Amino acid sequence: MLARIESEALSGLDSHAVAVEADVVAAAPAFTIVGLPDAAVQESRERVRTAIVNSHYEFPSRRITVNLAPADVRKEGPSFDLPIALALLVATGQTRCRLADAAAIGELGLDGTIRSVAGVLAVAQSAYGRGLRALLVPAANAREAALVTGLRVLPAATLREAAALMAGAGGPAVECPDPETLLDVEAATDVDLSDVLGQGRIKRVLEVAVAGAHNLLMVGPPGSGKTMIARRVPSIMPPLSVAEAIDVTRIYSVAGMLPPDVSLVVRRPFRAPHHTISVAGLVGGGASPRAGEVSLAHLGVLFLDEFPEFRHSALEGLRQPLEDGEVTISRALTSLRFPARIMLVAAMNPCACGFRGDKTRACCCPAHRLAQYGQRLSGPLLDRIDLRIDVPRLTPRDRRNQVSGESSAVVRERVKRARARQRERLSGAGVSANAHLSARGLRELCRLESRAVAVLDRAYDELRLSARACDRVIKVAQTIADLEGSDTIQGGHVLESLSYREPPWSRR
Amino acid sequence: MRADPHEFGRAAERLAVAYLQQRAYRIVAVNQRVGRGEIDIIARQAGVLAFIEVKARRTRTCGTPEDAVTPRKRHQIARLATLWLGSHPRSLVGVSDVRFDIIAVDALERPPRIRHLRAAFDGS
Repeated sequence: MLARIESEALSGLDSHAVAVEADVVAAAPAFTIVGLPDAAVQESRERVRTAIVNSHYEFPSRRITVNLAPADVRKEGPSFDLPIALALLVATGQTRCRLADAAAIGELGLDGTIRSVAGVLAVAQSAYGRGLRALLVPAANAREAALVTGLRVLPAATLREAAALMAGAGGPAVECPDPETLLDVEAATDVDLSDVLGQGRIKRVLEVAVAGAHNLLMVGPPGSGKTMIARRVPSIMPPLSVAEAIDVTRIYSVAGMLPPDVSLVVRRPFRAPHHTISVAGLVGGGASPRAGEVSLAHLGVLFLDEFPEFRHSALEGLRQPLEDGEVTISRALTSLRFPARIMLVAAMNPCACGFRGDKTRACCCPAHRLAQYGQRLSGPLLDRIDLRIDVPRLTPRDRRNQVSGESSAVVRERVKRARARQRERLSGAGVSANAHLSARGLRELCRLESRAVAVLDRAYDELRLSARACDRVIKVAQTIADLEGSDTIQGGHVLESLSYREPPWSRR
Repeated sequence: MRADPHEFGRAAERLAVAYLQQRAYRIVAVNQRVGRGEIDIIARQAGVLAFIEVKARRTRTCGTPEDAVTPRKRHQIARLATLWLGSHPRSLVGVSDVRFDIIAVDALERPPRIRHLRAAFDGS
């Protein structure tokens, strides 16, 4: 007898339809799976066989053929265990399929329990998108699937439960968590900008950077607090919108990094990979491409400490995502896109020993190494970092005399207002923040006062700015104007912007 | 019982046949040659058609009798069974399950112990 159960397969961040067909005939017994299954899917035979027996069903001693259609798409992972087992139970008449328009995913344990799988949110969205109205999921993934409104989520903890749900037994409805309330309650972060003592200038730069979504490079000796500062950047970013939170959740879900009891990622991501990371780890890749750190930091902060120590190829791989806000990974059979709209926060020492320009300790680098250190970073990459700033080391005496300053919430409010101004002005240009403005958008949408033009012209001559550097100065000045609520860019804004652009290793 | 090894094997098969008959199996064929191979016993019980491989051991020098049915042997039996079913299409009438069984005859002691492993393997 033939049975058919709908399911879904992930490819990148997207999911597409897969039909699981099982045919059981009286012939020399064999259990074969066809339809381009990978090793994990082949092994699903042993899990399905044992789970069926241990759930006190009968495993048919007949010839079983399972087909995963469409047959020309590679199938990966253990998420087909449940639909295969259900199709076998239906084909052998041990349960009936009374659910119309339903799909199933889940991994089986040998005892018949259903284990959670990755990417359930993407699966639920795709299933709903193609007209299905119910989805059988592992119980642990139910809250995640319930984010898709209109989809009936049927959570099952064991194969027996799943079979009963298929046969039409009603279960408790999974309450759909309202994303708005989740975002309201949980968006508070555990770190605050007021934890950082002093460093007023740096806090100002952070505010400008976040307000205009500018990338930031901090240069300072070890122990000056670069990492501590970077960790607090997400706390002054405006909270995620519901659509954004769902996008981020989808990425974490597919990567299998969603904690079990979490239905929605409500905080902006903060990712800080070690500098030994590979290109594939940073930008994504692999034989069956997975999201890299840039995508895991989507709509949040990617913090690269010891910036020049990263592999050259990995850093160069960042150029495309920084420009386009997404990563495209091409393989012979597919081309996958991963979103990667990040704010890059990089930190580095001013030289190899770390103490160049420090007030109390002398730099011990030989001259040729000083020259080499900054050159590890390529011009095109630095071009994409609008703000560069020195982070000096504070002595204990300095620290005692410092006040903690404003809390993140206060700064976040100003950032929100500046972002709102930008959205309004930039709505025609198809971008949402000053940092993403094109050269043309810059000319058309940024209004410089005559004094600002004069300052810029002088800087152009005296500092020998390139045209691109000039554009960057204007973008940052525009963000400063937005923070002040000014409709035009004034001379003071340009001057402040100019103070954030020096490549620190070229001084002294 | 230091007899000819072939005779020992035949004796084990006779033992297995008697064992199956006791349990209401109808013997369809014994030592059925198919192409270059041989199926030890083909038996029927209600809706089940079983292809049975008989293995016997007098000592443990080479492991248990069940161990002697190697993956290669399993493959061969599955192939022979498919061939046999192809040439005997009528044998599947009324059959719901087809099984590959092993009957292990353990002659370490007297009388020999018989273990019947139902659905011991399949052809995949």
